[in-house]
Amino acid sequence: MSTLSKPRVFLVDDHALIRAGIRAELSHDVEIVGEADEVTAAIEMIIERTPDVVLLDVHMPDGGGLAVIQGVGAHDASVKFLALSVSDAAEDVIAIVRAGARGYVTKNIEGPELVEAILRTAAGDAVFSRRLAGFVLDAFITSGDQPASRPSLDPELDQLTTREIEVLRLIARGYTYKEIALQLDIANKTVESHVSAVLRKLQLSNRYQLTNWATERRLL
Amino acid sequence: MLGGVCGGLARRLGVETGSVRLLALVSVLLLGAGVPLYIALWVGVTRRGESESIWHRTSTDKREKEILFVVTIAAITLLIALQTLGLHALGVFLWLMTLSALGALVMWRGCSDSERDHLREILSAVIAKSSAGSDKWQSVALRTGGGVIMALWGMSLLSRVGNESGAALYVLVGAGALVAGLFILFAPWWIRTIRDLSFERRARVRAQDRADMAAHVHDSVMQTLSLIQRAANDPNEVTRLARLQERDLRSWLANPEAFGTSSSAPTTLRQSALAIEREVEDNYGVGVDVVVVGDCALDDAVTALVAAGREATVNAAKWSGASNISLYIEAEPSEVSMFIRDQGHGFDPDEVPSDRQGIRRSIHERMTRHGGSAVIRSSLDSGTEVELRLPVPSRAR
Repeated sequence: MSTLSKPRVFLVDDHALIRAGIRAELSHDVEIVGEADEVTAAIEMIIERTPDVVLLDVHMPDGGGLAVIQGVGAHDASVKFLALSVSDAAEDVIAIVRAGARGYVTKNIEGPELVEAILRTAAGDAVFSRRLAGFVLDAFITSGDQPASRPSLDPELDQLTTREIEVLRLIARGYTYKEIALQLDIANKTVESHVSAVLRKLQLSNRYQLTNWATERRLL
Repeated sequence: MLGGVCGGLARRLGVETGSVRLLALVSVLLLGAGVPLYIALWVGVTRRGESESIWHRTSTDKREKEILFVVTIAAITLLIALQTLGLHALGVFLWLMTLSALGALVMWRGCSDSERDHLREILSAVIAKSSAGSDKWQSVALRTGGGVIMALWGMSLLSRVGNESGAALYVLVGAGALVAGLFILFAPWWIRTIRDLSFERRARVRAQDRADMAAHVHDSVMQTLSLIQRAANDPNEVTRLARLQERDLRSWLANPEAFGTSSSAPTTLRQSALAIEREVEDNYGVGVDVVVVGDCALDDAVTALVAAGREATVNAAKWSGASNISLYIEAEPSEVSMFIRDQGHGFDPDEVPSDRQGIRRSIHERMTRHGGSAVIRSSLDSGTEVELRLPVPSRAR
């Protein structure tokens, strides 16, 4: 993708109303290359049209967003997914991010924020909402001495660095990346690389809290 | 029930079907004498709606006759052989059973197609088939054969009791073998019945869940939707209602069992944060977005922190003009902190009106009284953030 052209976006959501709403909000800033309302059609069309970003509903019949990520990922690992849901249930967030989504936003996100999140996803960066940042902090630091469910090959995956924790806290407090860069006196790019590192840890870590999230914590 | 013999007999004799059935049952229990009689009637009497009886059909077919002859000879030979091996006491019973078995053979060979379907149904319902259609005939035959042999052996052992020494052992082994044989014969049917039952129970639970869901959707979502339609001209009210419903559904999804019981006073930090969210959203029509990391119980100091945080949130809702307030709370082992941030129009802390000065003090003073601190950062273009920190005295958490 050249930086000048609009990102090519594909919509997957089983609610026509939501698709229409998103389409209306985004049409100025991105190019919508297609939409699908169920898993099988979505996988086929995404593989065929190779969008830059797939905006993906988490909750759908026949396996939901997770099934789409897995189905497309088997053919083409380069497609980037941004999950979109009304739910903030922890098990959904963690499951979809661990399956490979670059980020997670809720459906009540405002138009400009959604555009920013899509641009960021297209550029290969991670998109962390306040809540997702909160989840990660909860999983990685509040029960710091909990063991991993399986021994990690790379113990660093199970730990966040001090800087990463600082960045996550600021996200959870409602700061934008730019404000975070200002606050910590670091470059914008550096903030982004910290967040991407956290995403990688979130996807690969074997921490007990992540692998057993669903049973461990059913609240908020 | 099986072959319709009782029903037919009752109709012919002009008595009730039930009493004929009872009579048949008694005759079966009397050493099984009823079984061959029943089968004989089944074979010998023409079925209603058909032109000839099973016996008639079998006896007019040359090949069927040959088969019957050979099998009968083989059975009698086997019986005599068994009797010489010392199964005297079983004699009458065994003869009757053999007769019945022969009758059953005739029945199977000679019955009409519709009757055969009926028989097949009875067979698969009663015996030796664990699940419909999935069993190979070899395994069915093996099981049936094994079961019958076990049961016969058990009975033969039991029949010797009293003639020989060591009777108790025979009783034990015999009864065991009998039970084992019956178990092998009937276990699949029994298991299937139980499985069907548990399946039914699961289906009932699912239906129950559905009903609960429907009730909840009706009570809350439908009501809200109709309220929204009525308030369609008032965007603030619509937003408020939608938020209310969203919060309601979220808490129901997160914990359906505890739903509706949460109206009592909060006992943890997390619960109080949600209480602030509820209160401010309902009273000021401003969204409060709560993120909580960790949790802890409410003691005096934490309660003061929550009160200060509530004050700051209400301030932001009243004065900032922002439509959303971010509330972030983190409970660490050494410190509990709370951040209230809005992106509305901030203020210059040096030029605050006197009444807000007071509120600021109440936040500050509350915090310092419990050993914590409050910092208020505000600028005209990027909104306001209130930072509350409360160190936790070293205690077991």
